[in-house]
Amino acid sequence: MPSRVFGLLPLLALLVLWQAVSWAQIYPTVLLPTPAKVAAAFITEYPDIFRNAAASITRVIVGVSLAFCFAVPLGLLIGRYQILDVLADWSIQIFRSVPPISLIPMALLFFGIGDKPAIVLIFLAATWPLLINTIFGVRSIERTLIKVARAARASEQLIFRDIILPSAMPAVFTGLRLAIGGGWLTVVTAEMIAVKSGLGYMILNAQLTFRSELIVAGIVVIGAIGLIADQGVRALRARVCRWQEGLTAEAE
Amino acid sequence: MQFVECRGVGKIYASKAGPVEALRGIDLAASEGEFVCLLGLSGCGKSTLLQLIAGLEAPTAGSIRVGGIELDGPSDETSIVFQDHGLFPWMTVERNVEFNMKARNAPSDARAVRAAELLTMMGLTGVATRYPHELSGGMRQRVGIARALTTRPRALLMDEPFGALDAQTRGRLQEELLQIWEHQRTTVLFVTHSIDEAVFLADRIAVFSPQPGRITGTVPIELPRPRDPETPRFTALKKELRRMLVPDLHGAALS
Repeated sequence: MPSRVFGLLPLLALLVLWQAVSWAQIYPTVLLPTPAKVAAAFITEYPDIFRNAAASITRVIVGVSLAFCFAVPLGLLIGRYQILDVLADWSIQIFRSVPPISLIPMALLFFGIGDKPAIVLIFLAATWPLLINTIFGVRSIERTLIKVARAARASEQLIFRDIILPSAMPAVFTGLRLAIGGGWLTVVTAEMIAVKSGLGYMILNAQLTFRSELIVAGIVVIGAIGLIADQGVRALRARVCRWQEGLTAEAE
Repeated sequence: MQFVECRGVGKIYASKAGPVEALRGIDLAASEGEFVCLLGLSGCGKSTLLQLIAGLEAPTAGSIRVGGIELDGPSDETSIVFQDHGLFPWMTVERNVEFNMKARNAPSDARAVRAAELLTMMGLTGVATRYPHELSGGMRQRVGIARALTTRPRALLMDEPFGALDAQTRGRLQEELLQIWEHQRTTVLFVTHSIDEAVFLADRIAVFSPQPGRITGTVPIELPRPRDPETPRFTALKKELRRMLVPDLHGAALS
């Protein structure tokens, strides 16, 4: 496998392009700050960026955790019992098609301005990918394995714990990656409207005060956190699903 | 004494195209310690019958008794081995072998002792902590057999267990299976579509025909073991079975 350092190349290219465009002065610096100015913003505004990032991250962690505790057990049950699947299928398909952002007005009416509406929206954004992937994970279990367990007279509890759960785990992790991604998108948007803190709020506020370097700094932080979160989930998945090593054609 | 006994067993599946009769009027018995092969072409219901005997599905007609007791779900007296081995990919070999005992709530130290015994017997001690996908097909099926034997079943149900293996591995596992069988004296019901395999292994062969799946004949194999496939008697039995298996073809050849 080629070294991961290659992944930095496009980012470096983008940085060089940005610097070149700044030098050529195609756009006024009020619109497009130079990389140096953004770097300076990181240093001077460090406490502010840190505080807002922490606020956003906390909301996503709370929202996604709640969604995980709700959606994974529910998905295991729906995947296992056909009656629940029939009961839930249409509802899932309807509600997952509603963008969480479109619920912001409703969330504001019910919960006012603050953490609550943001967390509720993240919860909704994270629930669907977790639920759908968990159901899919349970479904894709090899039928022979269930037969082996039934022939051995395993209890339903043991089948859930030793067979259905581990076999659904890779799919649950796929769901978790999507959920964190969706939660992160939602938090930034929600913070622009429904909360008075967080990276979304910081960016919007920077726009109102013409501080474009702070906007770009915010965007960089949002992207960086997204990357770190995704890498973290991947690493966790590799640990938990160690048995999968070498089973799939290539590490995802 | 008949240990496994099927009387008038039928199985009809509902499908979108209407009911499908998979089995009709099956009468089959295996006495204690007997090695019975269920021989037939694909789609003749032999695997379906094995699943019924394993208690995984219920027959739609007739009755099945194992150890004199009418089946109502899987019996404690049987263990099943599948062609695609059915090993849990997230469990090590050791954990896989322990699973059937765990399902019956055996305490963990007893499980470990028994698993170690079977791993030694099947020559798997060196791979106890490996995952199934790290093993060859033959090794995987050894794990499957070890797992099935842990609960000391009085009948071993085997659904084309060596069907996916190469010829050499298959031959070796057949011999190992006979050794185990001679040692443990369990009843074995062994599904196969290979005439050679059936003649090599069985005390008695039940020949299946399709549409609907039924038994068209039973052939006792009275050759001494170990059997040599090169002998004239072996060959003659194969010929007879081939004729029973595909009568149309034979009829066409005669006319």
